[in-house]
Amino acid sequence: MRRQGQMQTQEFTIVLKGSKKPDPPAQPPAPDTGRTPSPPTSPFAWIAETAAARPPEAETICAIDIRRFSCWYGDFQALRSINLQIVKNRVTALIGPSGCGKSTLLRWMNRMNDVIPGARAEGTLDLHGLSLLGSDVDVVDLRRRIGMVFQKPNPFPKSIYDNIAYGPRLHASVPRAELDQTVETSLRRAALWDEVKDRLHKSALGLSGGQQQRLCIARAVAVNPEVLLMDEPASALDPKATLRIEELIRELRENYTIVIVTHNMQQAARVSDITAFFYEGRMVETGPTSDLFMNPKNRQTEDYVMGRFG
Amino acid sequence: MFWLCVGACAAVVMVLVLVVSYLVKIGAGSLSVSFFTQAPSGDVANPGGMLHALVGTLILLALASLLGIPAGVFAGVFLCEYGHSRLAMPARFTADVLAGVPSIVVGILGYELLVVPLGGYNGWAGAAALAFIMIPIVARSTEEMLRLVPRSYREGSLALGATKSQTILRIVLPSVGGSILTGIMLALARIAGETAPLLFTALGSRLITYNPGRPFPSLTAQIYTYATGPYPGQRALAWSGILVLIAMLFIINLTVRAVMARAARIRV
Amino acid sequence: MKRPSAATHMSEVDVQPGSQQAPRRPRSRGLGDLALAVTAHGSALLVFLMAAFLVGVLAFAAAPSFKRFGPAFLVGTEWRPNELERPKLGPDGKMVIKDGESVMEIIPPAFGALPVIFGTAVSSALALAFAVPVSLATALVLVRVAPRIRLGAMLSFMVEFLAAIPSIAYGIWGLFVLAPFLQRHVEPLLQQLLGDLGAFRWMFYQRLTIGGEVVERPLALTGRDMLCGGLVLAIMIVPIITSVSRDVLRAVPRAQLEGSLALGATWWQSCVAMLHYGRSGLFGASMLGLARAAGETMAVTMVIGNNTTIAASPFAPAQTMSSLLANEFAEASSELHRSALLEVALILLVMSLAFNILARWLVVGASARPSDAS
Repeated sequence: MRRQGQMQTQEFTIVLKGSKKPDPPAQPPAPDTGRTPSPPTSPFAWIAETAAARPPEAETICAIDIRRFSCWYGDFQALRSINLQIVKNRVTALIGPSGCGKSTLLRWMNRMNDVIPGARAEGTLDLHGLSLLGSDVDVVDLRRRIGMVFQKPNPFPKSIYDNIAYGPRLHASVPRAELDQTVETSLRRAALWDEVKDRLHKSALGLSGGQQQRLCIARAVAVNPEVLLMDEPASALDPKATLRIEELIRELRENYTIVIVTHNMQQAARVSDITAFFYEGRMVETGPTSDLFMNPKNRQTEDYVMGRFG
Repeated sequence: MFWLCVGACAAVVMVLVLVVSYLVKIGAGSLSVSFFTQAPSGDVANPGGMLHALVGTLILLALASLLGIPAGVFAGVFLCEYGHSRLAMPARFTADVLAGVPSIVVGILGYELLVVPLGGYNGWAGAAALAFIMIPIVARSTEEMLRLVPRSYREGSLALGATKSQTILRIVLPSVGGSILTGIMLALARIAGETAPLLFTALGSRLITYNPGRPFPSLTAQIYTYATGPYPGQRALAWSGILVLIAMLFIINLTVRAVMARAARIRV
Repeated sequence: MKRPSAATHMSEVDVQPGSQQAPRRPRSRGLGDLALAVTAHGSALLVFLMAAFLVGVLAFAAAPSFKRFGPAFLVGTEWRPNELERPKLGPDGKMVIKDGESVMEIIPPAFGALPVIFGTAVSSALALAFAVPVSLATALVLVRVAPRIRLGAMLSFMVEFLAAIPSIAYGIWGLFVLAPFLQRHVEPLLQQLLGDLGAFRWMFYQRLTIGGEVVERPLALTGRDMLCGGLVLAIMIVPIITSVSRDVLRAVPRAQLEGSLALGATWWQSCVAMLHYGRSGLFGASMLGLARAAGETMAVTMVIGNNTTIAASPFAPAQTMSSLLANEFAEASSELHRSALLEVALILLVMSLAFNILARWLVVGASARPSDAS
């Protein structure tokens, strides 16, 4: 194994400075320049443009605090002493080659690993100072506060309306008018309202793949979570639908803290503010997305973002 | 050899055609309105109809369903959704084994458990025997259907903060509700045609009765009595009974096929 | 490499500790899970209870018969529920005469299960002998021919509908159509063709002992006999064997089939290769058929002739365990009779369960195999 020394977990300090305002101003829509690389002075010139177009950082509240977090599936250690802060109202991208543990970490954040026998974890995983790991945690309430969008769109075999209303109905009996309002708001947030408003009571399985994934996002949004976890939300979609999802993620950042796992580095560069690179169960490097892509401090990160492996 | 195989296949089809066409031909000849509207008259030359047996079978099926459907479906839910439990493997094995129990043995169990203690043949025992046959079938078919539900549905629901029971009752079961229903229909079709377990439990009756505490009529038991009896008029009724029974089962099978085909199309 | 301390960490990123109260689990939510778990476990428990009651009750009720006959029950050749009164024979083999009248003796009822075990075994074996070749051929057609001419679904439906026809319908058809047909056409023909050949003579003649002499008489051909029972059973088990075999053959990896075709095998040779590959599953399918044949009641009762003796000829009436139960259980003459019948039921249960378990084991083994072979 080469460069063993550099394999050590790097505890990276996120330095996000900015004026603290109670409400961040409406962000200008991010330009789509990232998709058309400008003439190559550097292979990452496009990243610089994307990152430069971002508004100045406003607040740095830590939503999810991960310290010395390790986890196992049976005897296999999937993650080794991870330290990472997920910042509120930012998009954090987890990147790395397959099997590096990034999806595992995501699934621990809303305890979806509970259903896997033999899965256990150690360390700290806190949502606003509240531990998510204890056996006495109300997993149901936790999952309502931390929503999740999966790799493949998984709408329920119900109508579009019932898909969105499923979450709110779980927790209380909601008056019809209020429910209608929630459905509309959620669909609008997921930029799907105009496409489906005339067929709310048709089966959700009749939607296209991209629409289904936006429906799943709307469904997650409908229970009003604080954090949205996305596990390669666009990997099963065509390029056009992928773009829609990416635009949506940028818009959602205003209201939600988003953690996204992705294989696609360009996607990470386009949508995220902070990127963390995982390799073989360790977090190798983390930092503002433009820094990580432009000036990786670690050789492995560099190799990966340059496309030399993975 | 190829043609021999095709011939064997043709022979199977021919037997089906022979059996069904014969039963239909002779049954249709003696089928009349009075079959559906009259109870037995007691006169062997002009024996009336089988209304009592139709009503009896329907009531027996309803009573058996009352126990058999919920117990079967929830046993299926247990097998699929609580599969990590140490009970799951033995429970699946037991259900499989029970599905293979000869139905006459079930009838004898019903006699020993519900007829002897209650002091006589009765409809409750008949319904219980039918439910006994129904439960393992429904349980296994429900389990098979639940296994078809993609894990992503369960995860999607859990990720929205649903509890396990909410996920099962609101997402998992409804998403294969149609298929589970067809499994139930097939089980009902199976027990509607059962005779052996009723011989020693419900026995049979010549009266239209709504009291399951007494000997209870059923289509199959009545057909058996008439068909093996000496009177031509009653035999004709037995033929009609068989026709009605087969027509019923044919319709159920056809419906189930259609529903399954549609469900398969939707899933693709 | 410099490791920043946790303290510097905290200062850079503003963590809000304890801003939220620990969420507590509402009672009602836990109750829903609990209720479903209890219901599901209860239903599973019911399944266990059913099995326990089945074996327990039968064994308990058969206990008097166990005590009385012991293992000899299994090999006893006589099933006679009623007392028999007959002239007493002296040690010299002649009737004992007293005061000008023969002395009568009363022989108590005898219960031996061998005749019905024999009947079940032979009728099921006959059924298998008829059904297995036909079913395998049909399954091959369903898998290899029917899909190409778009008849697959139709044929499958017909085979499955054959399985849905109730037992009593087959019984009536057998009683009024098949048995008379056998009696009038098939059996006389066979008798003419084979009856005088020494090797088949036992099929058509029975030996009786009358007044100390052994005489041979032609068997009365009724059509309601072991052969008819076997045929009806065969028709009834063709669907189950066919559909399970079809699934087993479908699970044969394509590579197996293509491999043999690539070597220049004929259609039939490649079929043999498929059958060979799926042999344990196909054997399991036959065992399922056997289990069903052994437990089948109504149709058999109506066509097998109901004679509780052991006769070698397939043209002699016979009795199976299930038909014996159907015929005698409702009017059992004594407690011992009923208990003996219950012991027969227990034997039937154990036997069909053994077949079923063996069959499942084989079929599951066969369907699991392709995955580790590929």
